[in-house]
Amino acid sequence: MASSATDRGEKRHRIIFQPEGKRGEFPPGTTILDAARDVGVDIESICGGKLTCGKCQVIIEQGMENLSPVTEDEQRLLDKKKAGKNYRLACVTQFFGDVVVYVPEESRGGEQIILKEGVELSVSIDPAVKKYYLELSRPHLKDDLGDLERILKALKEDYGIEGVDIDFEVLRKMPDVLRNSDWKVTVSIWNDREIIDVEPGYKVEESYGLAVDIGTTTVVGYLTDLRTGEIIAVDSMMNPQVTYGEDVMSRITFAMQNPDGLEKLSSKIIDGLNKILQNTCDQAGIKTDQVSDMTIVGNTGMHHIFLKINPEHIAMAPYVPALHRSHDVKARDLGLNITEGGYVHVLPIEAGWVGADNVAVLISTEPYLQEEMWLVIDIGTNGEIVLGNKDRLMSCSAAAGPALEGAHIKYGMRAATGAIERIRIDSETLEPEYKTIGDAPPRGICGSGIIDAAAELYRTGIVSKNGRFNLDLDTPRVREVDGTPEYVIAWADETSIGHDIVMTQKDIREIQLAKGAMSAGSQILMKEMGLEKVDRVIVAGAFGNYIDKVSALTIGLVPDVPLNRIESVGNAAGVGARIALISREKRNEANEIARRVEHIKLAVHPDFEKEFTKAMFFPHMERKRYPHHEEILKLREKGVEE
Amino acid sequence: MVSEEKRKEILERLKKGVIEFDEDMVKEAANEALEVGMDALDAIMNGLVSGMEEVGNLYEKGEYFVPELLMSADALYAGLDILKPHVKAEDIKVSGQVVLGVVEGDVHDIGKNLVKMMFEVAGFEVVDLGKDVPLEKFVEESLNTKADIVALSAMMTSTMLGMPKVIEMIREKNPNAKILIGGAPVSKDAAEKWGADGWAPDATNAVREAINLVKGLKREIMGDKSE
Repeated sequence: MASSATDRGEKRHRIIFQPEGKRGEFPPGTTILDAARDVGVDIESICGGKLTCGKCQVIIEQGMENLSPVTEDEQRLLDKKKAGKNYRLACVTQFFGDVVVYVPEESRGGEQIILKEGVELSVSIDPAVKKYYLELSRPHLKDDLGDLERILKALKEDYGIEGVDIDFEVLRKMPDVLRNSDWKVTVSIWNDREIIDVEPGYKVEESYGLAVDIGTTTVVGYLTDLRTGEIIAVDSMMNPQVTYGEDVMSRITFAMQNPDGLEKLSSKIIDGLNKILQNTCDQAGIKTDQVSDMTIVGNTGMHHIFLKINPEHIAMAPYVPALHRSHDVKARDLGLNITEGGYVHVLPIEAGWVGADNVAVLISTEPYLQEEMWLVIDIGTNGEIVLGNKDRLMSCSAAAGPALEGAHIKYGMRAATGAIERIRIDSETLEPEYKTIGDAPPRGICGSGIIDAAAELYRTGIVSKNGRFNLDLDTPRVREVDGTPEYVIAWADETSIGHDIVMTQKDIREIQLAKGAMSAGSQILMKEMGLEKVDRVIVAGAFGNYIDKVSALTIGLVPDVPLNRIESVGNAAGVGARIALISREKRNEANEIARRVEHIKLAVHPDFEKEFTKAMFFPHMERKRYPHHEEILKLREKGVEE
Repeated sequence: MVSEEKRKEILERLKKGVIEFDEDMVKEAANEALEVGMDALDAIMNGLVSGMEEVGNLYEKGEYFVPELLMSADALYAGLDILKPHVKAEDIKVSGQVVLGVVEGDVHDIGKNLVKMMFEVAGFEVVDLGKDVPLEKFVEESLNTKADIVALSAMMTSTMLGMPKVIEMIREKNPNAKILIGGAPVSKDAAEKWGADGWAPDATNAVREAINLVKGLKREIMGDKSE
């Protein structure tokens, strides 16, 4: 983009970003957001420049006259956000002269935190890459067997391993490694069939792999000891693709509209993964080429973009992915810096939008081994739901939208420092108590807090079951601003952003839509399976803190179950990636399960509209579907937390 | 001839049934309207549609949300099914023809269905092409039906990109048709850039637009009687 024009000698204008003072020079007509990305200033841009989120507000300190005029759409968003004078939206504002821009705190991207542990599961360890130590006989004139054949002979004699081939690049370095190590080497074999590394000396106890969960918002890598399955180091980062749009669909659109779009998106994530690899290896005190295996999970969009497969066709009905099965690809072909001959194992895809991340959730929660009927819900922009047991499994994908991840919510934000992650409201005084990430002064609300807020507002009667605010309450926290009711969670002086943090009527409506889609998905799967109720509900998804079980039940985000039959497991997709790294059996199981799950296409299901309508109520329009509801409401009343 | 008192009472029940999304109440009142010999068009316009207008007001005020709209629509259709076959042909003044559908690649049609209903109660003849509609089909149907309005819906950013193609094709072959576009990812700038005649940023705003349309058209059809 901007930097590519450097050498053409055209006119350039300086932009300075405050308060960091970062600066750069760009050709006329560059947008402020593009310039910010280029110089490394992190500005929130949830909608990817489509003028729907209005989160990328910046204040123009100097050079107002050098900007593109305000369009009607921009003005509408600025008005809606009550932006002050000299505010502009960075994504659409171009500069044609020198400018100084101030990035207010609420527009800045925050440091991301993420759950580092999910469920622990007992898995028998059988990684794809195994290491074998060999002491080879030195060749001489009467024993002039080739180097590779010498290794193969020893593998057969010492370990009974046959039918092994070798990676071409490893072959090239092999003769020197053998001679420089006095013929004592450690050989890494991938899936019993290919030598992917030959290292000098005894390295059997140094066997590492990296499991990666590529989330739309967050990427997490787990450096794992392949012999024990233990995590040695964890690193996470915001998905670097967010600069091209915060949801999958805007990124796919970006790839469709720009000739080098896919290339850009793909190299962003590869660079990001190399950083995670480097960081975890640094923490563990090893080199990146000592990592010999890698597993990847992610939704279908992330999966395709990672592999640099055109994602266009999964964004259009009939939403067909390029492949369902798992795929093994040389890490070097993707530009990943693990050992040169190493492979990356990408987990399988169930159906269109039920991707490798959901398969990972399944192998880490194992509903397919149960007698009982389990419902596994992975909450995200695309909520994936699986219902079933050992005999039958069904899945669907519910377009919940990004509300539960903080987008489209007035003070919604990602799980970063200062995000409100827990909220309780006193039934008598209607005063809230909240907890923020890092115990910092609040600057927004993240997913777990948003679900809590909806549940508490409903439980205390501030919001009725149809989502409408009750304005006849004796508290200054419930008020009407420009005809829109809202509840004040934090007063301006408590926050770091200098104005009240509220939940508005519109926020509740967004939550109703998201919750309605997820809940309708569950109800339709239950109907298809012929069930009135399920035996257990497992809620996966990481939005800062674990999603509160009571809150999820209170608003009917999940179907009715007794409280001891619901479990919140955090980032189950990441756990699945780790399991696949250390167990070949689980890799096979993943492929088998992915093909066995029957996929229900929600949007074209004849009952969807009806179920969606009913499911938008708290907890549901048909109260008989929530027999435990009163009980759940009373729990909070008494201050019981589990 | 039914007494004015009885007429008012039945209209009130039709209206209330729609507002309170009570399908049974609507069906009962609609059947009774026919039994007592009420004019079917009167029952539709001053009962059902009048109720839907009130639903629109409640929606605008924020009292009602999408689920209430959908349920009211169901109640309205329950009444229409009973009353429509009895409307005298000469009373039907078609306000215009609309061809509408969700563009290729997209199967999300709740918003489109709401808009469709509003057009129908406004007296439009609606040709619903459904969802995942091939782009050429919009053009073909707009020519076949001599549609006054072509309405395109998309819920996904990726599928929205089909809209400018349809607009271009229609402009070329059927320059008189008005084109309305709507759906979550559509912006006013996009609508202008692509040369659409009207837009709505999301399904709910499209409904609002349609509701206004209903009001305007109803006045046209019924004259002062409905006011």
